[in-house]
Amino acid sequence: MANPYQPIEAQILKTIDETPTIRTFVLKPEQDVPFLAGQFVELTVPGHGEAPFTPSSSHFERETIEVTIMKVGRATTALFGLKAGDSVGIRGPYGQRYPLESFEGKDIYLVGGGVGLAPLRSLFLSLVHEIDKYRRVFLRYGARTPEEIVYKYLIPQWEKLKKVDIDLSVDVGDKSWVRKVGVVTCLMDDIPCDETSSIAVVCGPPVMMKFVTFKLVDAGFKPENIYLSMETNMSCGLGQCGHCRLGPYFTCKDGPVLTWEQIKDIPEPFV
Amino acid sequence: MLDIREGVSSFSILVKLHFLPNSKRDRWLNVLLDQSEVYFPQILESQVHWQRLQAGGLREGDGGPEWGLEHIRASEPIKSFFFSPRERVASFPEKLEPGETGRRILFGVKNCDLLPLKVHEQMFLQGDFKDTFYEARLRNTLFIAADCPEPADTCFCNLVGRRPFAEAEADIVLTVLEDGYLLEPLSDEGEESVRTGGDAIQPATEFQAAKRAEKRRAADSKLAKINPKPWADGLAQRIWDRSGEDGFWGKHAASCVECFGCLMTCPTCYCFLLYDKARAEGMDRSKVWDACYMAAYARVGGGANPRSEFLKRFVNRFQCKFTHFKNAHGFYACSGCGRCYRACMGKIDIRDVLGEV
Repeated sequence: MANPYQPIEAQILKTIDETPTIRTFVLKPEQDVPFLAGQFVELTVPGHGEAPFTPSSSHFERETIEVTIMKVGRATTALFGLKAGDSVGIRGPYGQRYPLESFEGKDIYLVGGGVGLAPLRSLFLSLVHEIDKYRRVFLRYGARTPEEIVYKYLIPQWEKLKKVDIDLSVDVGDKSWVRKVGVVTCLMDDIPCDETSSIAVVCGPPVMMKFVTFKLVDAGFKPENIYLSMETNMSCGLGQCGHCRLGPYFTCKDGPVLTWEQIKDIPEPFV
Repeated sequence: MLDIREGVSSFSILVKLHFLPNSKRDRWLNVLLDQSEVYFPQILESQVHWQRLQAGGLREGDGGPEWGLEHIRASEPIKSFFFSPRERVASFPEKLEPGETGRRILFGVKNCDLLPLKVHEQMFLQGDFKDTFYEARLRNTLFIAADCPEPADTCFCNLVGRRPFAEAEADIVLTVLEDGYLLEPLSDEGEESVRTGGDAIQPATEFQAAKRAEKRRAADSKLAKINPKPWADGLAQRIWDRSGEDGFWGKHAASCVECFGCLMTCPTCYCFLLYDKARAEGMDRSKVWDACYMAAYARVGGGANPRSEFLKRFVNRFQCKFTHFKNAHGFYACSGCGRCYRACMGKIDIRDVLGEV
């Protein structure tokens, strides 16, 4: 039986600066880390700690794993000091995948905020890989400024994909910004899918998740059809250490994505 | 017919009961010592502590160790034997795997200290990922339980549905009698271990079995006098329903000085933190005990903290042990051992809180 706390080695093949504080790391693990969209991995920055991240690449891509990370704490700051050729540790995959089979034939409405688009990208790419299984895929994404939009170079390609509908907003625009200005909920006044059967998937800062969830509920989305990426302090990733408890759930084991139905009765789920 | 144990005839009990006279105790202990490390409860300055038994240190009194088999549980929870306060569990870039584990015998475990093994079984061994360090040590340990004839005022195992003696969950259960020890094997390994005593261990008599029943009844009665009132029905839900009542929880938390003694001595608490330490090249990862009362326990990388106020952490402890664990696994993550109250500098008695919820 393997040691569950032991990471394997993953080489950084390439880094891509998405914004001044967000960077994508393309990793090649020494063994396959067979994650499915929704699951996460634990990355070790040797000597600086370990932190959980949901991959941003498609789960159909097995050779490499991409992880898009914002510099916010001790481990991520140290990670930003590494470059192509350096090694990190990786453990996983952990947590629950999206139940994609129950998304089939339906509209999927993705709402992302800031670096929250990273995990949604993994789901988005997995959905468009088999787009014929789904009715349509909508992506609504908000960032603080045009400069802080992640995957700027990819979004124009995504917009050309069949059955895909994308809209963007920024809190504060600039001279070149021609799309909407406002928080991401300003893109949700007219939701172009059947709210009673569609699936919504939300990832972003807690305050954004809270208001997007309320907007989706008001629009008629069923609580069991609203999937939320919950941010808690995940340490072990194994459902053992206790840190990530959210009401009756351990987000590392039962999540990290939980439905609004699961968490709506927990006091203050968004912190 | 003797009323030894409800639903079990005296004959079937007698078949299983063995007697080890005081005069032959050390003979059996020497056999056990040949096979294993043996740990026993030793009385040191009126407290009981787990000590390793040395082959030369069997003699009691006059310089020998004073055994505490009839005392309440040791000060230290037995989880330290399987899940130590700090342990290296991984390294990088080279990989670390659990090492060989020697065989151990815990001689004289109380029934309240057996329940935490069930809690840790759920947390560390029943999920998708097993704690291989924990498992290796647990599987290599023989548990010899000892009845608890003198419950202390701080004990409340009866409130969590347990009794002051083991009827399962150990390999052997032992009762101290005047002239020796009554032994009841509860597992195949326990049977085997009793057999190693050879002719030092004899079949028990009806009189000895009746003595055990009498001692156990007396212990039950003492506990019932210490804790006469059971907790209210639906305790798990009541805690959850009242979780937002700051006045109620604040009253009970008022004298807490946040020393975390209650959680560090709690035998069921399982929380840990993985902590990486840099080396010249790479790192060593330690697994260290953690406690949900600590301010940074739930803080995330960006600094947000869902339980930054102590009162929320106080309530969370009760929810964890008495609501969520019960709902998930069918029993409280509390053994009634009373260590939390004994350790508490603010004299917060968990029974007062739960009795009032």
